[in-house]
Amino acid sequence: MSDTLIGVARPRIDAPEKVTGATRFAADGYVHGLLHARPVLATDAHARIRGIDSEDALAIPGVVAVLAAADLPIASVGTDRTSEPLAREEVVFAGQPVALVIAESEAAAEDGAEAVVVDYEQLPSVVDVEAAMEVGAPLARAVEETDDEAGDLESIHAGVDHGQEDDPSEELSGNVLDRITRDRGDVEAAFAASAAIVEGTFRTPWVYQAYLEPQVCTAWLEPSGTLVVSTSTQGSFVTQRELARAFDLPLERVRVIAEPLGGAFGGKFALVEPLAVGAALALKRPVRLVFTRSEDFAATNPASAQVTHLKIGARADGTLSGIEARMIVDRGSNAGWGVEGITSLLVAGPYNWEAHDIRGYGVQTNRFTFGAYRAPGAPTAAFALESLLDELATELGLDPIELRVKNAVVEGDIGVSGNPFPVIGVREVLERIREHPLWATRSSLPENEGIGFAAGHWPGGLEPAAAVCRVNSDGTMTVVTSAADMSGVNTGFAVIAAAAFGLSPDDVRVVTSDTSSGPYAGGSGGSKVTYTVGAAVLRAAEAARQKVLAAASQELEIATDDLEVVDGEVRAVGAPDRSVTVRELAQKALRFGGIYEPIEGHGGSAQTSGAPSVAAHLSHVRVDRETGQVELLRHVIAQDVGRALNPALVEGQMRGGATQGIGWALFEELDHDEDGRLLTGSFLDYALPTAERVPEIETLIVEVPAPDGPFGAKGIGEAPVVGAPAAVANAVAAATGQRMYELPMTPPRVWKALRA
Amino acid sequence: MIPAATRYARASDLDHALELLGEPEAKVIAGGQSLIPVMKLRVARPSLVVDISQLDLRGVREEGDVLRLGPLTTWAEVAAAEAFERPALAAIQECALGIGDLQVRNRGTVGGSLVHADPASDMPAVLLALRAQLRLRARDAERDVAVADFLRGPFLTDLGEQELVADIAIPIPPEGSGSAYVSVEHPASGFALAGAAALVGPDGETVALTGVGATPFVLPAGAVRDAISRSEIFGDRFASEEYRRELAAVVAARALDAARQRAKENS
Repeated sequence: MSDTLIGVARPRIDAPEKVTGATRFAADGYVHGLLHARPVLATDAHARIRGIDSEDALAIPGVVAVLAAADLPIASVGTDRTSEPLAREEVVFAGQPVALVIAESEAAAEDGAEAVVVDYEQLPSVVDVEAAMEVGAPLARAVEETDDEAGDLESIHAGVDHGQEDDPSEELSGNVLDRITRDRGDVEAAFAASAAIVEGTFRTPWVYQAYLEPQVCTAWLEPSGTLVVSTSTQGSFVTQRELARAFDLPLERVRVIAEPLGGAFGGKFALVEPLAVGAALALKRPVRLVFTRSEDFAATNPASAQVTHLKIGARADGTLSGIEARMIVDRGSNAGWGVEGITSLLVAGPYNWEAHDIRGYGVQTNRFTFGAYRAPGAPTAAFALESLLDELATELGLDPIELRVKNAVVEGDIGVSGNPFPVIGVREVLERIREHPLWATRSSLPENEGIGFAAGHWPGGLEPAAAVCRVNSDGTMTVVTSAADMSGVNTGFAVIAAAAFGLSPDDVRVVTSDTSSGPYAGGSGGSKVTYTVGAAVLRAAEAARQKVLAAASQELEIATDDLEVVDGEVRAVGAPDRSVTVRELAQKALRFGGIYEPIEGHGGSAQTSGAPSVAAHLSHVRVDRETGQVELLRHVIAQDVGRALNPALVEGQMRGGATQGIGWALFEELDHDEDGRLLTGSFLDYALPTAERVPEIETLIVEVPAPDGPFGAKGIGEAPVVGAPAAVANAVAAATGQRMYELPMTPPRVWKALRA
Repeated sequence: MIPAATRYARASDLDHALELLGEPEAKVIAGGQSLIPVMKLRVARPSLVVDISQLDLRGVREEGDVLRLGPLTTWAEVAAAEAFERPALAAIQECALGIGDLQVRNRGTVGGSLVHADPASDMPAVLLALRAQLRLRARDAERDVAVADFLRGPFLTDLGEQELVADIAIPIPPEGSGSAYVSVEHPASGFALAGAAALVGPDGETVALTGVGATPFVLPAGAVRDAISRSEIFGDRFASEEYRRELAAVVAARALDAARQRAKENS
């Protein structure tokens, strides 16, 4: 195994076709006889559907059908979006799909959708998550249904336990779907022994994943009866399972093809597929549904709004004492799962506490359906914790980074989950960023400028996975997995396979297979693909290497132990002139009357130990006190990535994560009016961190190898977003002396806070 | 976000365009930056779209003490025009460069923006401060109207259904003048939460505001803060009336400062 290939910056293998526009995305494929679907979305946040009048729509030339919930051949019960892709009798958020118009052209379908008249009986809506918890609050969903099968999607993002059972003494409304308690030790005693205690209530809004490619799916039935689903998804197997469950189909009759992703960030796990599939099954014709951007804003599954009451203390020497948190998570209409489990774990940060008492609440409201977004529940938790840690450092007269270093967890420390931390590079990352020259300039800045620091971590996900490595007759290798190529994981697989086998990465092609034939992989999410599927690729390449060594041993009459594979050639160790190329051996295998076994390897992984990644940020801002505008001047991120397989892609993830964190900090907010109607449902209202507003982000790669990761690599996609909002908030506090408790820190909010 | 079906015709000259506009539900398209979005929202559903982009109504030329700006001139062309490279007209370039993004500036036209009359669009404030006049053409008539009289309200102008803007006349301010445009933009739409254009010269000081009221308007003479406190300012979800009033005062003061500085350099 050669690791000289590891750590070399290379372009993504899919870059040429992406930048030349050659990639075919899920909306691009030609399908004979295709019908187009357009959704009719609910205009009210909470209502009963009295009737749907489709007469006018059906009269429009080209319109084939108007489908309501009862027209879809759905077998599963429950209120999850797979079982209820169209509202049955009760609408629970404005934007919920209530009907589908199917037509020969997209334009005719749109005309039809405009002509459908839905008769609603309005019901009291619940929009404020705190009010929703109170006893006597109207229920966001009146009809109670449960489906024990639902919730398969929860396990994708992070393997998080659910804490202890709820506290029955607390009386709350039926909108509270889940309560989590995590406690250890005596928090009151810990606070009593503290030299400083700080507390605050932190608010964060619903945030949209804002992927470039809106949700899209095409579905058709093969003459054989197999359902084919060509879709933009992060997880082909999870989508297959969800669809088989919803439509009561044998698993092998559902073939899900994960097409190249035009961005996802957690938002693409079996959301629109049941709509296209339901229509295709109902009409026995191919159906494509492509959401417009407005529909994608209104009808999908953004990140939860959250309210976090947090109180922390420390002893005079800076030892953290107690942490008490009450975290309220707005799940919208998602009865299946919420981030209260993850956020209540991550609010303690990568730090040791003497005692903790953390409660999490998952609350239903009439707003969206909660879904995952890069590090679900983590930026919100870190915003609260890292803001207060700065306040605590100020109270104690300590350097903010020193306070974190002093309390940083190391391998074996018991976290609030009750489990020991695996290898984790908190100290290494903190020390690295503390050495950055920007930190030293923080006390000599011009007026209204400030530098903020914050850290955050992500535990990393686990799921068994498999991969195949196949040597072709031209000596190149094809790696086959079923992991959706998100954030450049395929490019990572190529280098892992090349290094493990002994050939050039340029000779490795990576194929993302579908559920009919590909080796198993879970959804691409939770920062687990490189760590788990990558480990399977490593083993598959090693297995293929054993095959080529066996063939070469026979060919050269040299024992396999005395052979090595270098750059596509098998050589005798110490006598490189005695060699045979992989290509020659492959050609002697892959032909009629060939003499060697095909050079192919299968590998699997079932990781048991997590590989958490930690990132720390420095953010330098200037605040315009007259207008409240916060200008980001400079941003630095240091992250423990285990081992950077491809530093160019790792830095891309660090910059992308930090940028999305800056979006949380300064720009992004999905807002409803008091009746639950979306106010920021387009890019005219919903602001993103655009290129002109984000400075160049400096990246510092820290490598604390993950013992079980391929070449020491760990999942790195999520950690970089976690601490970024808090770093910007701490910078604003440093610049103005004003602590901000609500995201995003828009000009009007900052202006108002500065005048208070 | 899929427009209703419509017909399309490309006008070969101004008279042809006016003839096509004889159809009651016809709408003019130039750069498409205002019409296409409202068509996609189906707020506008014209029976006929009249494309005037090929008409010879583009560019800037100097005629005595007036600059004549063709309404089909794009923002990118305005920003690059040498004719505006003088302290007295710096506000024009400053404003054009701040509009939308590069793609919008390459397509969007001055005339299109004026007739769309979004209450938060930037250039009307500059044209108001510079006392610009519009020449409007109908099939057999022509009239001149001051920008101040042209803007009637949100998305409402003095333009007749069968009229087109043929020309924008900008008087060149006297020696010793300076102008500036300063705005605070909505972080998503890029439209002005408050924008101020200032012209400072021998004839005095003029400030026009946009984004804060039903239509861009010239601030009455006198102390800026007093004038703003007497003006009708609106609030919305993002920026309250109180905040917007304050922003108006801030951008007005900043625009005046910059314009005074330029006037000094120009004398």
